Amino acid sequence: MDIIACIKRVPDTSEADAIKIDSSQRDIEKSGLAFKINDWDEYALEAAVQIKEKLGGTLTAVTVGSQEWNDILRRALAMGADTGIRIDHDVASEDPHIVALILKTVIQRLPYDLVLFGAQSEDFGSGQLGAMVAEMLGIPHATLAVSLEARENKVHISRELEAGTLESYTIELPALLTIHTGINQPRYISLGGIKRAMRKELQVMSPNDLGLSVDMLIPMVKLERLELPSKGKGAELITGAPEEAAEQMAKTLKEAGIF
Amino acid sequence: MNLADYKYADIIHRCFRCGYCKFPVNWMDANNCPAYARFRMETYSCGGRLWLTRAWLSGEIDWSDHLAEILYSCTACKNCEVKCPLGFSVDILNMIIAAKAEMVESGRILSSVKEFLENIQRQGNPYGHSRVKRGEWLEGTGIEPYQGHDFLYYVGCVGSYDARAQEVARALGKVLQKAGVSFGVLGNDENCDGNEVNKLGEETLFEMLAEENVAQFKRLGIQKVVTLSPHSYNAMKNDYPRFNRGFDVMHYTQLLESLLSDGRLDVSGGFDAAVTYHDPCFLGRWNDEYEAARNVLAAIPGIQLIEMERNRDSTLCCGGGGGNFYIDLLGGSERSPARIRVREAHATKARILAVACPNCLTMLEDAVKAEGLEEELVVRDVSEIVAEACGIT
Amino acid sequence: MMSSIFVMAEHRNQALADISLQTLSKGRQLADQAQTELLAVVIGKDTTAYAEQVAKWADRVIAVKNDRLEEPLAEPYQKILALLIKERKPKIVLMGHTSLAMDLAPPLSVELEVPLATDCTDISLQNGDVIVTRSIHNGKLNAAYSFAPCETVIITGRVGEFPIEEGNRHGQIEEIDFPLEEEFNYKKFEGYVAQEVGGVDITQAEVLVSVGRGIKEKENIEMVQKLAEVLGGEVSCSRPVVDYGWLPSERQVGLSGKTVKPKLYLALAISGAFQHVVGMKSAKMTVAINKDAGAPIFKVANFGIVDDLFKIVPILTRKIAELKDD
Repeated sequence: MDIIACIKRVPDTSEADAIKIDSSQRDIEKSGLAFKINDWDEYALEAAVQIKEKLGGTLTAVTVGSQEWNDILRRALAMGADTGIRIDHDVASEDPHIVALILKTVIQRLPYDLVLFGAQSEDFGSGQLGAMVAEMLGIPHATLAVSLEARENKVHISRELEAGTLESYTIELPALLTIHTGINQPRYISLGGIKRAMRKELQVMSPNDLGLSVDMLIPMVKLERLELPSKGKGAELITGAPEEAAEQMAKTLKEAGIF
Repeated sequence: MNLADYKYADIIHRCFRCGYCKFPVNWMDANNCPAYARFRMETYSCGGRLWLTRAWLSGEIDWSDHLAEILYSCTACKNCEVKCPLGFSVDILNMIIAAKAEMVESGRILSSVKEFLENIQRQGNPYGHSRVKRGEWLEGTGIEPYQGHDFLYYVGCVGSYDARAQEVARALGKVLQKAGVSFGVLGNDENCDGNEVNKLGEETLFEMLAEENVAQFKRLGIQKVVTLSPHSYNAMKNDYPRFNRGFDVMHYTQLLESLLSDGRLDVSGGFDAAVTYHDPCFLGRWNDEYEAARNVLAAIPGIQLIEMERNRDSTLCCGGGGGNFYIDLLGGSERSPARIRVREAHATKARILAVACPNCLTMLEDAVKAEGLEEELVVRDVSEIVAEACGIT
Repeated sequence: MMSSIFVMAEHRNQALADISLQTLSKGRQLADQAQTELLAVVIGKDTTAYAEQVAKWADRVIAVKNDRLEEPLAEPYQKILALLIKERKPKIVLMGHTSLAMDLAPPLSVELEVPLATDCTDISLQNGDVIVTRSIHNGKLNAAYSFAPCETVIITGRVGEFPIEEGNRHGQIEEIDFPLEEEFNYKKFEGYVAQEVGGVDITQAEVLVSVGRGIKEKENIEMVQKLAEVLGGEVSCSRPVVDYGWLPSERQVGLSGKTVKPKLYLALAISGAFQHVVGMKSAKMTVAINKDAGAPIFKVANFGIVDDLFKIVPILTRKIAELKDD
């Protein structure tokens, strides 16, 4: 089975307690931030590798981004992808529609039975890309897959609804799925794995190489500016060493009649 | 998994389950393997792990979270290696580490270990805190960035980021300043020493860290390094040479020992307390250094040094090695090695439990709280005791 | 004058979904502001009852019916909406950011070649232009977006952001029996899978001690269990804990889990991402313990401690036990 997995590079802002807006007001200060593969995409990659291990075939990892984005392709190759492809294009605050168009153009040149995306990205979280690409390619799709069983010409999935219910579907291939977290346990990518993956192929091409000129890549949605959310009242913070803070909290809970 | 590919395939079968690996050198207890002390199952002793590793690699048992947990609960304290009576004893801990390496390469490890390693890959520390915060502990200390000083004071990840350990990092810095030692730090440019990464089996990541550190130190012309943590000391002393280490490294207790004997530190202010000293594994069993810290403490008037029964090479590991100060597989029970050790310290009637390692510091302090002994036993780093005796507030 | 505003209302378990009441309210507000018509669309097997409800907000209602619409596939919805939008050319098409919308809105926007903004927390009209706000980077920043000149924009609204305002209109209802010739047989619906019912119903607990990813290992949950016990409550969790297999999904609080309203919600190492908060924001009292001072949970909590849960929780458990004995 030939699988294509599309991945994104995102900043790790989970613990950073100071995200700063940069001088353009349209992006964040990147210095001091570490970058990684988008969480959802990691689950998608792991799903793809597991299918490849079970059914054989090829796995191609694709991304749209600038030069630094090669590192996530290296990681995808270390996880088990055979080839990595990067389309060189700055996607900062880019309209997902544009990224979808670029991806569609590259994907349609490749053999594929299954195309996998993460359900959304950690930074902007639009959750649009995969389903857009499916429509552009004219193939069936389903989003938010939390289980996936691949056979030779169809996939059996369940997708997540609100309040814990799942819908299950059988979809004929070729098809596109967006993958939700929790579907598997993504494997650890060791540095040794990344080094060995340096031998694998990493292709870089420009939108021009794909026949996409600048006037074909005009966004319909424009990021005007970034703002800090209003502070609001916020929690009353109990400070002090753990001993005192915990004691104070216990007292607060007692006074509130919790116990 | 393939037994044939395993580095120690030809000797792993040789453990014949004598059980010595669980005892301390002085035989006074049966529970000196920290994981065995915690779980009281043969599985968690060195011998048990060797048998399981062999079964896993030869396909008799499958990988599972439980198997990974068993392997990663090894804190690399070296008690087993020191106690094993067989000729292959020098490799038994390496065999466990090699088994962990097999897991790392397969990508299937505990999620907390995955986090630990990914955080180091990304931010140079296991906590995942930003690199730009690594030097925050320096604020207000007046400690200089390294620029041709006599010594590099290498702090390490725990000392840089853990709030309690930062206090020790500062205390040691002040003591060195008081003694007029010429030293500087790397601040935000400091990177993980890789000791735990090595003991967790991520060989290539360790190589990268070691190579980068050696190159950085060379660029800066660093000739002498004094470390806060025995973990850093161990990696730099024993593992960096194969990466062309071009500098000498000592643990801070060794430097303090020589400063005291040279008369460069005035500890006449004294420290009036009954103190018991906990030997850190990576200074003691790993590097045969038992006396430096004791000599430092002995030089301070007012200290009454009481030994625990399990001391020197019989020390009971605090349970923080092998990444366990973060992944914490041995916690959560009164049988946690840290809590056992704290009860042991308390039984000596000492009021102060002295440590010389930031991992031991955090593990044992948390254990004191868990035991409810905060009124009776206080954990202090040797550098903090020296600082007080020098009149540094 | 701006042409009409569409709202697509969803129904679930024989009732209109709450999110649809929210988007209807927002749609009504926008329609009033732009002095234009609000048209509600309801699609399903039998939509008469929903149409009557929705008519309280809308000027017009289009109730689309077909037996085959009993199945939840997004494809027929896409086909129907595409036709309606091409016909009536609304300025704004608004729906909730739901599981259905994730399948439906992006392909619809591609088919119609119109812009799409998803999971929006605010929509405003400024000089005839539509501006939307989205919450990004784990809730730490807001982003404002505008659209290129176009006839229609599709917007999905975040669950729980738009307050429900009771409607009092009597919209004109148009019922359409929609012919679905297309088979969509490349995608076969196999049924719903209800969540496994285990032993615990966290929605009934008065006290919930909830853990997030920061608990680090399954074994550490025992420590949290002790705290829950001493408070007379249950252990619940955020999604990553279920993803890692440390707790069963019946203990998950959030958008794809349960919605809870306990007396006390104690959030341990939970960042407070929107998908989680939406499941617990009706808790009477919320307390958060998290190492990250900037975690969004501190915005919704009443009290908080910025510290390591492994340091606080054992002491907290002990202190509560002591106070109970007094």
